[in-house]
Amino acid sequence: MTTTSLSQPRRKRVSKGTIMRHVVINFFMLIIILPLAWVLLLSVKSIPDAYSGALWPENFDFTHYSYVLSKIQTLPQNLWNSIYVTISTVIITTFCAILAGYALVHVRLPGRAAVILLLTASLFFPTRIVSLIAVFEIQSQLNLINKTYGLILPYVTINLAISVLIMRGIFEQIPHELVEASLIDGSGPWRTLFQVLLPLVSNGIVVVAIVNFVSAWGEYLLAATLTNDQSVRTMPVVLASAAGGMGQWAWPRIAAVYVIVVAPGIAIFALLQRLYLKGLTEGAVKM
Amino acid sequence: MATIRTNAQSPTRLRNRWLNLRGLSNWVFLLPMMFFFIGYLAYPIIRVLWISFTDYRYLRNEPANWVGLENYRNAIVDPLLHSGLLRALEFTLMFLPGTILLPLLLAVLIDRVTHPRLASIYRVILLVPAVIPGAMIFVLWKWLYNFQIGPINVILVQLGLFTEQTAPQWLGGTSLTLPAVAAFEVWWGLGYHTMFFLAGLAAIPKDLNEAARIDGANEWQLFWHVTIPRLLPILSILVVLRFGSAMALIEEFLIFGGFNRASPTYTWTMYMYEMAFKTGDWLQGYAAAIGWIGTMAMMIVVAGLLYLFRSRD
Repeated sequence: MTTTSLSQPRRKRVSKGTIMRHVVINFFMLIIILPLAWVLLLSVKSIPDAYSGALWPENFDFTHYSYVLSKIQTLPQNLWNSIYVTISTVIITTFCAILAGYALVHVRLPGRAAVILLLTASLFFPTRIVSLIAVFEIQSQLNLINKTYGLILPYVTINLAISVLIMRGIFEQIPHELVEASLIDGSGPWRTLFQVLLPLVSNGIVVVAIVNFVSAWGEYLLAATLTNDQSVRTMPVVLASAAGGMGQWAWPRIAAVYVIVVAPGIAIFALLQRLYLKGLTEGAVKM
Repeated sequence: MATIRTNAQSPTRLRNRWLNLRGLSNWVFLLPMMFFFIGYLAYPIIRVLWISFTDYRYLRNEPANWVGLENYRNAIVDPLLHSGLLRALEFTLMFLPGTILLPLLLAVLIDRVTHPRLASIYRVILLVPAVIPGAMIFVLWKWLYNFQIGPINVILVQLGLFTEQTAPQWLGGTSLTLPAVAAFEVWWGLGYHTMFFLAGLAAIPKDLNEAARIDGANEWQLFWHVTIPRLLPILSILVVLRFGSAMALIEEFLIFGGFNRASPTYTWTMYMYEMAFKTGDWLQGYAAAIGWIGTMAMMIVVAGLLYLFRSRD
């Protein structure tokens, strides 16, 4: 803050280069925002306006939201499916990543380097594609095909390696002495982790939680492959197959569904963005 | 399993061995992670490798027969696998330059924004697409590219470039579909990759730039000789990771192209998926071989890139 006020007088003159720079930056910002603004606008267009092709509607219609939630029969169920699968996935993955990240940095662990090598190698390997056939087989042997909760098991694995590596990066920021001091004080490794270290790694937990939220909330390939019935499916599969016809699935109504599905992620991000940005620069990017 | 000791631990050999044994109990911390990593990642990959050497089918009750390399011999001469690999490569070459260079440019520009509030607003906007899940991005762009109501065609018509009848047909496996998918993939990664580069740029000491300026370097030389070498680690890791994800893309093609084998979106992953899950006469063994051949082809390039980009310090 003080530096800006100090250099204020000099910055009064804005050079041509600076203006050009901001023009280019804002052009990119517009490109990022416009598609999202369009779908938001579509969700409040009246139905005739949505099909007329005009970008700005003549009449607004805000009833699409209540309509889709009450009139499309499986929609609340699909929404609930997505919610509980996602929350379970985020909790389980984050838990695994905290424990493993801690152990890989602050605990004596034979085979540590091999574990890290395996995790890193799996990032470069198209695991989703190669494992799909066998994941289907496992799920059918466990009788989990066409069961919504069955999705949680493969979902946890999608971002497991990157989550562990992110947490490892965050735990590396914590000085070893702190852990040792806590151990000398008589706390075991578990109490050290949960009482002393956990508050210090909250940035990393936010990043891991958001990364896993995003991928589980929008997962399509496994959900489309492992479930068949509309009522057990999650939102992404339902949305992707919604063709945008008439009636229940008229364009503005699907757009309203879309906004309902996308908004939680953006809201969570908006709430946690400071922690997220910090965690991202500390752990994830360093990866 | 090979135990690689770090430098921190090695006072005496005896002590070391005892400590290592004691450390074994610490694997408790890794158990939850290992359960999922082995159960849903390592085991399935090996299992698929085994399946690829058999005539395995889901729906058949009798055990699968070992057929040796037969699936591989058939797949190697399969024109659909050849075209599938080439299509994936074609897509990757369309997608990769944009998804690396545009964020690099944007990051260099944003890095020089000194106004603190603007700088953080830009960063927040950059990350918004990154918190929208993949499938939602695909659905959104399916609408944006829509022939009738999609705003892209609406704008093209209003600009007078096309009429409503001649507007381009972006999706459904036309020759425009691959570039269209590549374009929105670049859009999707734009913000996130920019953040990667911004983190890399933040790590470059500012006085390095100052020193170079004093030595008479212009902005271009500065970019080329100071910035790029410092960003090289991030740059190369992004190239390798994005090459891998682009070659193995499947959801986009499922949603945008469908199972039309003549479509440019029918890549090796689509072929594998159709063989494994969609055709009446399921051929999981053959699909597994296709999956492994595609993967090995990719991994050879990935290994080559990693070798090319290896750190030379």
